[in-house]
Amino acid sequence: MQAPSLVILALVLAFPLIYSVVLSFQSYSPVDAEADGRFIGFDNYIRMLGDEQFGRAVLVTIAYVVLAVGIETLLGTIVGVALSRLIRSRRIVTSALLLPMIATPLVVGLMFSFGLNPQFGYMTDFLRALGLVGEAGVLDSAGGAFAALVVMDVWEWTPFIALMVLAGLSAAPQAQIQAAELDGCNTFELYWHVMLPMIRPVLIVAVLFRATEAIRQFDQVYILTGGGPGSATTVNDIFQYRISFAAFDMSYGAALGVATFAVVATLSAILFRFLNRKGADA
Amino acid sequence: MLTTGITTVLAITVAGCSGSSAPEVDPDAADGWSQDFAGTELNVLAEATLNSEILAQLAPEFTEKTGIEVNIETAPFAQLVQSVTLDFSTAQGDYDVVSIPYDYLGAYAGSDYVEEITPLIEENDDKVGEDFDQDDIIPGLWETAATWDGKSYGMPSNSAVTMMMYRADLFENADEKAAFAAEYGYDLAPAQTWAQYRDIAEFFTRDAGETLAGDTLSEAMYGVTMAGKRHEAAVFEWMNYAGGFGGGVVDADGELIVDSDASVESLEYMKSLGEFAPPGFTSATWDEVTANLQQGIAAQAISWGDTAGAMEDESQSAVVGKIGYADVPVETEGDEHHALHGAWTYTISKQAVDKNAAYLFVAWALSESVQKQIGEMGGVPATRAAFEDPELVASLPSWPQQLLSLENALARPRNAEWPQILDQLALQVSTALVGDSTPQKALQDAQTEIEGILGDKLPLKAF
Repeated sequence: MQAPSLVILALVLAFPLIYSVVLSFQSYSPVDAEADGRFIGFDNYIRMLGDEQFGRAVLVTIAYVVLAVGIETLLGTIVGVALSRLIRSRRIVTSALLLPMIATPLVVGLMFSFGLNPQFGYMTDFLRALGLVGEAGVLDSAGGAFAALVVMDVWEWTPFIALMVLAGLSAAPQAQIQAAELDGCNTFELYWHVMLPMIRPVLIVAVLFRATEAIRQFDQVYILTGGGPGSATTVNDIFQYRISFAAFDMSYGAALGVATFAVVATLSAILFRFLNRKGADA
Repeated sequence: MLTTGITTVLAITVAGCSGSSAPEVDPDAADGWSQDFAGTELNVLAEATLNSEILAQLAPEFTEKTGIEVNIETAPFAQLVQSVTLDFSTAQGDYDVVSIPYDYLGAYAGSDYVEEITPLIEENDDKVGEDFDQDDIIPGLWETAATWDGKSYGMPSNSAVTMMMYRADLFENADEKAAFAAEYGYDLAPAQTWAQYRDIAEFFTRDAGETLAGDTLSEAMYGVTMAGKRHEAAVFEWMNYAGGFGGGVVDADGELIVDSDASVESLEYMKSLGEFAPPGFTSATWDEVTANLQQGIAAQAISWGDTAGAMEDESQSAVVGKIGYADVPVETEGDEHHALHGAWTYTISKQAVDKNAAYLFVAWALSESVQKQIGEMGGVPATRAAFEDPELVASLPSWPQQLLSLENALARPRNAEWPQILDQLALQVSTALVGDSTPQKALQDAQTEIEGILGDKLPLKAF
């Protein structure tokens, strides 16, 4: 019964993966007659280990994911808790919070690109009025451009964490909360010691989702900074895009893709295992 | 009811199909163009520019003359290159004629994806109309756009070339002239040298509230505008300075000169100009350069000739009739001026349904009447006759300079590895401009990376 669907799954999932793995051991570029697809063993992987620019892209990606997802989790939890205490306006506020998430990444990138334009952008004017940025605007420095990307992601995805937290709190068993209240917990203690631990599994799922999304950040960086200035915002996906589709070094790009896949798959496995254990605890 | 409806729709569709599949050719309309290929359908992919739009508008004229149907599809730079590479490398044959940026000539010709044009010219000599004359195509432009390793692979589709644009109205203002002469000790005139270009940039950079040509400025004025984002626009901007200082990417012997003294000096110079550019030029591409000039907030720029139309368009420009066009400056007065080619090339795919029909289309696009119409409608032609046409010269102030620049312009390298080299240069130019590295260190890093990319292919035999 399941055979046809498994065949289709194998075709759409396994074929590209196997093809990428094979390609990663070749030298192939569609625009270079000499890179004709001959096998070169582990050369692409060895090149990767010595590639400083790739190393920097990995560091930028790690910093980006940790900062963006970390801030989102913190803010999202606070907003989620605040939402759970709203009674009448909760539905309206919740709907409003959905707005940034509905916008496609490309549109978000364009919005910030206009807003942060050093000459005409309203965000630049605002930041300048506060004395936070100089004449040249936010994107002129490595730190500013990187911060802009983090802020953009936080703006778009904090509501997601908040909604997950809200959902978790709504489903929390009331008996234990009431028991804690009877034991004389104040509001802070109630949240910190009782309710947040209850929603931990939900929160971990949310963070896992966000982290895997953030690792493959591309559109917004492409629109806003193109990976610059210098290599300040060249995240892993931008780096790989440049290798594969700007420089057309397809085989090295495949090797980078395979390595990224291995890392993300390992991370996911670890997180899932952690999640399962915690889930059993809760 | 439903059945009747479907039948009617089918009938209309079928009738529509039969109508278009056998075009009626009128021999009187041929104008000397062969109608042997009537009924052939060509797919053309071209860059999303005015030239391509104009050609799409004019295409029915070609169909009328030859009976060949043409579908013109357009895409911006990056997407076009990706679509073409995919189409060529998988031998899909979706496109018969492709307009490619000339930097990719070595990549596509070297991989044997495109037809050599010379045999097609000879073979079809009696099939093209009299208003096509290949000798009228500007030789330097054609060489850059289509010659690779001694063979010619197409014809220029777009003659974008860099030139200096400056605010002629300010340069001629008596007060400004006097003030400039008093401050710098020589007369204000379009810059011949990079030193003058910098003096002029400094002179015209003013804050809001200061006076410019007798008026109080409501917003700041800048001496130059330039592209500095991590983007090919910044690399091409730098190559203009590098050409003037005697640096660049590859010398005449095919050796890399990315970290040569002249190249470093030119990047230092470019960085020093940043002081007189609108804030945030490190995130600007050619789009912002054009916009700044149009808004009248920049006094000078080294920019693309195909934006001159936008300067003289009243619906979008505040500087109509105020822009002067001149050669890109040089290091020392008397040196030879060099612009930078930005040409695109019509190439014929090896998979074309009919390479002779495809050639006819290319020849028609470069025929005298089409080239003149491209000029009239705001595009950039590739033939001398169009640039010397008295009507066009009278109405287009940039025309004589476009021709001069086309004749003295240098080409970017066109080897298969150029896309990778370009990417490294974009990274390092941007790094130097924002001050994360010195121009010298940045170009040394670029040189090292590019040496790694090219390996034992250095010195380059063809580029």
